[in-house]
Amino acid sequence: MKEKISNFLESDLLEKYLIGETSLEETHQVERYIAMYPEIREAYRELEDNLETFARLYARKAPEGLKNRITLSIRNQQAGRKRFIRYAVAASIAMLFFAASSVFFWNQNQHLQQENAMVTDQIRVLEADMKEQLEDVRNQFIVLNNPGTRKYMVNGNKKAQDLKAIAYVNPIKKLSYINVRNLPQLPEDQCYQMWAEVNGSMVNLGILKNIEDKDKLMALPYGEKAVGYITIEPKGGNHAPSVQNIVANIKY
Amino acid sequence: MSTLLEKHIVELLRESNDKAISLLYEHYGDTLYGVAFKVVRNEELAQDVVQESFIKIWNKSHTYDASKAKLFTWLFRITRNTAIDKLRSIGNKSDREIQMDVSDVYNLGVEGIQPELMDMRKQLDKIEPKYQIVLEALFFEGMTQQEASEELDIPLGTIKSRLKIGLRELKKIYGAASVVLFYLSQGL
Repeated sequence: MKEKISNFLESDLLEKYLIGETSLEETHQVERYIAMYPEIREAYRELEDNLETFARLYARKAPEGLKNRITLSIRNQQAGRKRFIRYAVAASIAMLFFAASSVFFWNQNQHLQQENAMVTDQIRVLEADMKEQLEDVRNQFIVLNNPGTRKYMVNGNKKAQDLKAIAYVNPIKKLSYINVRNLPQLPEDQCYQMWAEVNGSMVNLGILKNIEDKDKLMALPYGEKAVGYITIEPKGGNHAPSVQNIVANIKY
Repeated sequence: MSTLLEKHIVELLRESNDKAISLLYEHYGDTLYGVAFKVVRNEELAQDVVQESFIKIWNKSHTYDASKAKLFTWLFRITRNTAIDKLRSIGNKSDREIQMDVSDVYNLGVEGIQPELMDMRKQLDKIEPKYQIVLEALFFEGMTQQEASEELDIPLGTIKSRLKIGLRELKKIYGAASVVLFYLSQGL
């Protein structure tokens, strides 16, 4: 033990440690020895006192302004730090605000884009619809207003005596329309379906819903010696007309 | 052992109270300026070193551990390292010269001595140059005794005995200073 201590004291490590010349590893070693051995601790304290005394022998009067320079630079540094913290806080708040508003505007932009796309689609559909309807109305007008248009009264047979319809056919313009004015009531599971036999083939013209607008004209496919039929079919319509259920036919 | 003043300064440093800097400067300023000058050998550079050291002391005050070193030891380490870094950064001296410039010892402090520091100079003169050299090698240059022996071309045994005597002489001065301080404190 004694030998270990005297070896350590001989090594000059304590002196190097005193003035801060030891490596990290050496520092840890010296601090361990100081903590462990009172003799070393005592030697170190003595060295510290010696150092202070010796250094004081070299004291020089520092110039007058130096103290002010030092206190000023430390105050400036502190003020700078405080200012920096203030700026940092302000910048953080501004950042948060911008981030939040960016998200908000981005969301709003997405929403508006979606709405815009939807509105554009709707307009396109409406336009197409309108054109179709306008074309239809124009054709209706042509048919109804044309002197060459023939008008056929269509009456239901025994199965549907109250069925009343008027067909308009214009062989010149090759347009046909039908205006169903009255349809007798059917059981829930049945419906009226319209057909046209044009040039030998049967065309499904769709189901006749309950007549909401008695003045509505329905276009019929035009054909030479075409025949229109109204049949009673199971609810939802049929692929081919049930011949036994024909309630009216329209030759045009 | 730390004095009451040391404790007070350390407390102020912990509280980031800039009175600590003022007190530090009053009690250690001239000594640290002397240490800086001893290394850089230029008044302006030494002033810069002291200024930078005080800023480091202020910024690193939380790292000071009173159980590991006296306040002065800590201040000395910072100032000495700052001075060495300063010299390296301006590159006007080689590392070898920083480590040892023996010739300076003999004419040290003859010029520009302030009256209030004359006592200290006189005290220093009490220590013979041959002991001063060894003490300087130890305290300022950071040499081991072996290194000092090689550098100064003096046998290791002689270095050891000179160091012993040098420290004894130093203790005399230290003892006298303590007595003066004692009477001063009694007088207050």
